[in-house]
Amino acid sequence: MSPTGTCDYQPKDYKSDLKPIWCPGCGDFSVVAAIYRALAGIGRPPHEIAFVSGIGCSSRIPGYTTAYGFNSVHGRCLPIAQGIKLANPDLLVLAAGGDGDGFSIGGGHIPHLIRRNMDITYIVMDNQIYGLTKGQLSPTSPKGRNTCTSRLGSLEAPVNPLLYVLAYGAGFVAQAAPTDLAGMADVIEQAIRYPGFAFVNIQSPCVTYGEEGQQIKGLKAISETLESLGHNPADRLAAMDLAQSYGSKLHLGVFYRNPEPPPTYGDLVKERQDLLSQGALPKERILELFVKK
Amino acid sequence: MRENDPEGRAGGAGSGTYLPMRTNLVFGMAGSGGDGIVSAGDSLLQAAAAEGYHGVMTKSFGSQIRGGESSCRVRISTDPILNPGGNLDVAVALNWEDFLKFGAELPVSGTTVVIYEAATNIPENQIPLVGIMPLQVIAVPIAAMAKATAGTERAKNTVVLGLIAGWFGIGAVAVMKGLRKKLAKKGEELVEANQRAFDAGRTFAMEHPLKVSMQLAPSPSKGAQKLITDGNDMCAAAAIFSGCQFFGGYPITPSTEIMQFFTDHVWKYGGTVLQAEDEIAGIGAAIGASFAGKKAMTATSGPGLSLKTEMMGLASIAELPLVIINVQRGGPSTGLPTKNEQSDLFAACFSAHGDVIRPVLAPTSVADTFSTTIEAFNVAEYYQTPVIVLSDQEISQRKETLDPIDTSQFTIVDRLRPAGSDLQDYKRFKQTANHISPISHPGMPGGTYLASGIEHTEGGAPTNSGTVHARMNTKRTKKFDSLKERKDLFEVTGNPDAPLALVAWGSLAGICREALALAKADGLNVKLLVPYLLYPVAEGTYRDFFASVQKGFIIEQTHLAQFHKVLRMHLDLPKGVKSMARSGANPFLPGEIVAALHRLISELQRSHEHNLQPQE
Amino acid sequence: MAIRGIDFPNLVLMDALDLAILVEDEAQERYEEFAAQMEQHRTPEAARFFRFMAENEAKHGRELTARRRQRFGTAAASVSRAMLFDVEAPDYDAARAFMSSRKAMEAALACEVKAHDFFDQALPAIRDAEVRGLFQELRAEEVQHQTLVAAELAKLPPDSGLSDEDFVDPPAAQ
Repeated sequence: MSPTGTCDYQPKDYKSDLKPIWCPGCGDFSVVAAIYRALAGIGRPPHEIAFVSGIGCSSRIPGYTTAYGFNSVHGRCLPIAQGIKLANPDLLVLAAGGDGDGFSIGGGHIPHLIRRNMDITYIVMDNQIYGLTKGQLSPTSPKGRNTCTSRLGSLEAPVNPLLYVLAYGAGFVAQAAPTDLAGMADVIEQAIRYPGFAFVNIQSPCVTYGEEGQQIKGLKAISETLESLGHNPADRLAAMDLAQSYGSKLHLGVFYRNPEPPPTYGDLVKERQDLLSQGALPKERILELFVKK
Repeated sequence: MRENDPEGRAGGAGSGTYLPMRTNLVFGMAGSGGDGIVSAGDSLLQAAAAEGYHGVMTKSFGSQIRGGESSCRVRISTDPILNPGGNLDVAVALNWEDFLKFGAELPVSGTTVVIYEAATNIPENQIPLVGIMPLQVIAVPIAAMAKATAGTERAKNTVVLGLIAGWFGIGAVAVMKGLRKKLAKKGEELVEANQRAFDAGRTFAMEHPLKVSMQLAPSPSKGAQKLITDGNDMCAAAAIFSGCQFFGGYPITPSTEIMQFFTDHVWKYGGTVLQAEDEIAGIGAAIGASFAGKKAMTATSGPGLSLKTEMMGLASIAELPLVIINVQRGGPSTGLPTKNEQSDLFAACFSAHGDVIRPVLAPTSVADTFSTTIEAFNVAEYYQTPVIVLSDQEISQRKETLDPIDTSQFTIVDRLRPAGSDLQDYKRFKQTANHISPISHPGMPGGTYLASGIEHTEGGAPTNSGTVHARMNTKRTKKFDSLKERKDLFEVTGNPDAPLALVAWGSLAGICREALALAKADGLNVKLLVPYLLYPVAEGTYRDFFASVQKGFIIEQTHLAQFHKVLRMHLDLPKGVKSMARSGANPFLPGEIVAALHRLISELQRSHEHNLQPQE
Repeated sequence: MAIRGIDFPNLVLMDALDLAILVEDEAQERYEEFAAQMEQHRTPEAARFFRFMAENEAKHGRELTARRRQRFGTAAASVSRAMLFDVEAPDYDAARAFMSSRKAMEAALACEVKAHDFFDQALPAIRDAEVRGLFQELRAEEVQHQTLVAAELAKLPPDSGLSDEDFVDPPAAQ
């Protein structure tokens, strides 16, 4: 089901009146601005969009849009998003959250949404820290990082979100950052347009708890576009190879897009519903299933 | 329920003492998993149904997936059955080691006929039932007969069915008819082998009549259409009937069959089922589906209920309709996965941090699992809330014959949707007179809002204001006041002014209904309250019920007397009303409840005369 | 890239004017957003300055709009905001809670420089003479704005040199 609409919408049509609680300078401002642009490019009316998030600074994002929002519980936006999509496949369903929400407590849900391949776009605002709760270690924090729960340095190697999602078999994987606003809006729109599960990891610096090197200047210093490297996004293994530089290099753009997207979970469900609804016992007579023959 | 047929017809393979025909027989059979005991019980139940009897079958196992101790209990009657029965009329033991493992679940008494495998080499006067003198004990060479007629000892269960047909008059034709149908695909040779084994058993019975005849009277409703089903299937069917179009869940004994029903059927009604990656994802998906405007449910048992706690709280604060079936089993933690208990009550009523009221309904039988589940959806939709249905292992798994149910008697309730005027400056959590706000869903123009677990204003914006929080808590709790007024969610039987009372819920209600009938037959003035609505506690209804009561019992299958405590949190019980509570896998018998009632009457009579009058 | 989808060599005057208006629009909106953020985070002086900048951008926008209307009436525009990416608007990264007026002005100054550089870098590709004229004019104006802001900056007393962190409350966990 193509998520595109036919109406003429402006980015500001997707912007709600709620004032963000984010610290001035937060990378998430650019992300929500990019989302407004992407949605305007897609052209679905706000009331046909469901935007689910977990808990965290970045999870506040649905409230800042005019879509139907659901700011749910920590780590659980993906199951809720799937329930919404299954209940009404015509909706445009977005899920968003931070690196902790997604890869720590929510980590168990990611592989399953990927293998089900539902037409949902998942945006993770990755700032390698737990901002809302005051600066604790996150699953993407580099080893040795000093945070308020690792004042002697973190002992853990971090999750590589790009590599994980590529390895789980996602059909669309991209990365963006506020260093390239046009690129960010672009990959978000492409992710939404991709017919299946799509993942966008966005390096979104935290100005309150992030380190100096993680701010925009620092990101600019290590960023390069995948396009400039001549990367072929139809090559998953090449994508995984490049993804291994997560943490040391900021690769921007599309890592992987499946050139032949398989049917989505929703496609398969529709097929089954169409097949089986013919000649079904009316609901009022459902107890006839139990008649002793 | 009467033990004797007033017309006093004798007959069949009992040429001994004259006794009227039986109207009710309780069979308990045990062996190892390889003996096919449960299949035999199933065949017996099907045959009984085909012959127009009422039947109930429960199963009980050891912990092995196969080959462990295995038992079933089948109660067959000419009258409707209230519970799987107490003491056995007939005990079939294919070996003693396995039979004894079931202890109090298969109670043998002085009125039981014990049939056991002769190859156990135990003399009839030395069977290992300590301190019990059964009515009759018969060793039967079951395995030998199976081997001789069918060529394999595995046909023991069919021999047993033949014995039952011969001695008790059930299924003489119907059992083999059923077996033929069941085994048709596997070939004529197998069917014939079973026929020979069956005939051998029946012949043995006819050649060795019982000292006391125990033939079952003919069924009054031969030929009438019956349903055979269990609580889980009824629950799932009721959900589909109610218009549920989404199930999200995870396998857990003893609720998994509900999900399986959905995977077989929900597609036909334009719905979907998701076996999620874990319990939390299961309920999460259901919450998403409800947010998207569809009726949705999940099903689980104790350990899953614990995992779902956070999500249940989310559904409560977001005021989303949702049905959660919890099929109770022995707890805590992994507990006793295949045994019945009622100890999830505290969790059902109180799980989820914060000030939450969440309705809890409980079916009492396979038949009313259908109506209770429909009611759960209605309550969930009307009050925009998660609702827990507390079924239990016994109701969910016990197979029962039912008379057909007329589904046109049920009303289906849908959530309050916004009218056009509501959608001008729509406020999702608008304060209204009954605290229920019209609810939109994605796709509805003008109805966009932010649903959230965080506290929110009427418009849905996040807030941490104390004033708003208090108002919202009031809204979310006071909206249930009208639910507590529902008299139709309570069943009261017996003299309304009786000084003696029983209160029981869930599968215990069936035991107490039988106890009530026995007590009344004994001349006791006793009444029974069965609540279908457990929470919020309808204080008014309980106060009215207890007004005349001086003594009685709150009966439940929990170690901590949870229901007794929940009631006492909300109202004062008469001093003479006590708890009768015990852990799961320790069944209650109607007879013991009646005996306890007799003791209470004696206590009442010993006290001063004026205490017998209702208090002014 | 601050702007997308524009064919500079073939840029015509109407589109150029519309672009210039959108640049001011974008900047005005951003300054208003910054002002709201500053108010939300109790930084009133920076908020006042950003409101002042927003009004400046609005004024330039109005002037350009008047010119456009006079020349081209209400003909539909063929360029849109979707093509602009913070041409003159300050980067979101430029704001900070408790930022001083000095820092706010420095951010505005950086924007004027950014905008100046944009027009400057676009000029060599422009073929249309009127558009060239417009861009040169706009470039010169940016220099003027820089001078203005620099003057405001000079009026400020020097920053104390002390760190905000030594005075303000630590962040609150939510």
